[in-house]
Amino acid sequence: MTRLKGVRKLLSAILLFSVSFLHAEGSRPTLPPDQRTNGKHTLTAVEKLKPLTIECSARIESLLGRAICAATIVGEDGYVLIKASEVPDLGKVRIKFGDGRITDLREVHRETRLDLVLAQAVGANGLRAVSFGAARSLTMGQWLCSVAETGKEPRIGTVSARIRRIPGTGAALGIRMAEKSAVGDKGVRIIGIASESPAEAAGLQENDVLLAIASEFVGQFRQVHDIVNKRQPGDVIEVRYLRKDKEETCRVRLASRTKVLQNWEGEDFANGGISLRTDNFPEVLQHDIPLLPTDMGGPVATLEGKVVGINIARVDRVTTFALPVEAFWMEAQQWIQADRHPPKAVLAQ
Amino acid sequence: MLSLCISLPRRAATIFVVLKIIAASALGASGSDKSAAPKTDIASLLQVQSDVQKLLPQVRLALVAIQTGGGTASGVIISPDGLLLTAAHVPGGPGKEMRIILEDGSVTTAKSLGLDKTTDAALAQLKKRDKPWPFVNLSREVIKAQPGEWCFALGHPGGFDKSRGPVLRVGKIVKQTANSLHTDCVLMGGDSGGPLFNFQGEVIGIHSQIWENRDQNVHVSMAPFLRSWDAMQKSEVIKTWGIGAGGYLGVATRMSDDAELEVADVIDGSPAQKAGIHAGDVIVGLNGSAMTDQPQFTATVRARAAGDTIMLKLRSSGKERIVSVKLAQKPQEEGQ
Repeated sequence: MTRLKGVRKLLSAILLFSVSFLHAEGSRPTLPPDQRTNGKHTLTAVEKLKPLTIECSARIESLLGRAICAATIVGEDGYVLIKASEVPDLGKVRIKFGDGRITDLREVHRETRLDLVLAQAVGANGLRAVSFGAARSLTMGQWLCSVAETGKEPRIGTVSARIRRIPGTGAALGIRMAEKSAVGDKGVRIIGIASESPAEAAGLQENDVLLAIASEFVGQFRQVHDIVNKRQPGDVIEVRYLRKDKEETCRVRLASRTKVLQNWEGEDFANGGISLRTDNFPEVLQHDIPLLPTDMGGPVATLEGKVVGINIARVDRVTTFALPVEAFWMEAQQWIQADRHPPKAVLAQ
Repeated sequence: MLSLCISLPRRAATIFVVLKIIAASALGASGSDKSAAPKTDIASLLQVQSDVQKLLPQVRLALVAIQTGGGTASGVIISPDGLLLTAAHVPGGPGKEMRIILEDGSVTTAKSLGLDKTTDAALAQLKKRDKPWPFVNLSREVIKAQPGEWCFALGHPGGFDKSRGPVLRVGKIVKQTANSLHTDCVLMGGDSGGPLFNFQGEVIGIHSQIWENRDQNVHVSMAPFLRSWDAMQKSEVIKTWGIGAGGYLGVATRMSDDAELEVADVIDGSPAQKAGIHAGDVIVGLNGSAMTDQPQFTATVRARAAGDTIMLKLRSSGKERIVSVKLAQKPQEEGQ
């Protein structure tokens, strides 16, 4: 802990110096926000891509109208692809299209490996579906265009690293626990909470004593690890805990372990946060388009308007992952076909 | 503001709240859209793309990842014999041994030379090898770079990752100050010391710091590197530029008729005035060294930091005396 303190002191020293340094130079000519890489002036370039990007996406919102994520339209009869870990229960969300139509969603196929769910907007027809291109041939520096601001505005950026597989690191709550049991051999005391972590979001606090997780009693921090390790980022677990001698419960949605650890004190500066699931993908296309976690699930296209992927994870300040089209589209077409033409019922003998 | 040399988990300052307020006042003020800049079209974006893609295969070879005891960062090779630019907060001091990972994953070492702590510029030397190192040129005309010009950043955000390789960010120059460039090429921990390029493939900046917003990324410009080059090559540590020009005394000098260095004027409220120095005093020596001309005197004072105390030997009316003066920071609006 002392080492950590030392580092903190050092960084604040740098901070303090820099503040006065910049303040002294406030009068230099500055590029107005409109003319920056994702300013209004620059974005007029991709205005005509709207029918091929923005109009082929939709917004997934809660029943109260809060933005949850984006969807990519892949069939004019209502088929959409959504980031699965953002929508564990499609019964609790609805889809809103650019023309204002709102419908319910029917789950068709959930593929945890790809973090995608294929759904159909109930009763929707005559939608504009994306036109897919190829992603694996793209190289660093290639411009890409995506959809932001809950499906209303374009944003641009470039392919920023190699296409590759992202291994999984498991799930985490974002808590540090005491080594000894809290009460006799029962309960595990929380002694630290990571910033912007699942535990923080669920309202857990330092000094809370965990009693049971996913209906399993816990008395050792290792038991908590074991229960969490069996689950995936995006999964919801019920936590029963003791606060000031009162038993309470909450539901926690787990996040990817690596990112919870790396952002323990909020050092990521990710602006708008990161996705719950940021790893364990068979293949990703990395780009630097400025997006939010709620923009995931939307299409990412070349400047020719060919969709080359679906945004799948906001990872940190500089990184967004998209699933390249080659990683999912063959399969997804089969899910759609199977759903459009279900096997005929065979008469019982 | 956060310096970018981090990578170990749980290592950073909890400084968010302060940042948001200061960042808004420092950078957000000039947001009005007065000029009618030409609108960008797809053709011009594709030109940017083809320029970047043409330069990338060569310039990326000069990028390195740097591992020190405290974390990971980046750097860029700028000569065939292995001179390396990075940020001063990466080595932290001269003579530090650092582990270097080249673009292809091969590993070597480098030793830090000098650094300019006031602007975050640093120089290092790679271990000698028989064949020349891949390198890029640095821009000597960085002062001409204008807000709105395209540029691109390379680095190893989060540390070296072999399967990922270097990470590219394409963006625009937002502002240039005396010692820094601000761009909307988004940076994060691990990028520190990495290069910012112009479209001639020359290094114009070295990644240094970020603020909360995505458009607030600060790079050390080539200006302080060039200014401090000789000192840095000699492994000196510069910590005296401060906001302006190092230690501030507050006298104007002239050469007297007898060719002696003489105080022409004393600025009100300056350390010199507080120490009882008057116009007409002859400056004989400073900290035991004889002072004979103006450039020598100016350089000697400025080579000391604000807060340092100097001993001045003065003569007036035929009498010599020694005064001790604590140097201050130069009171001025703009950094120089």
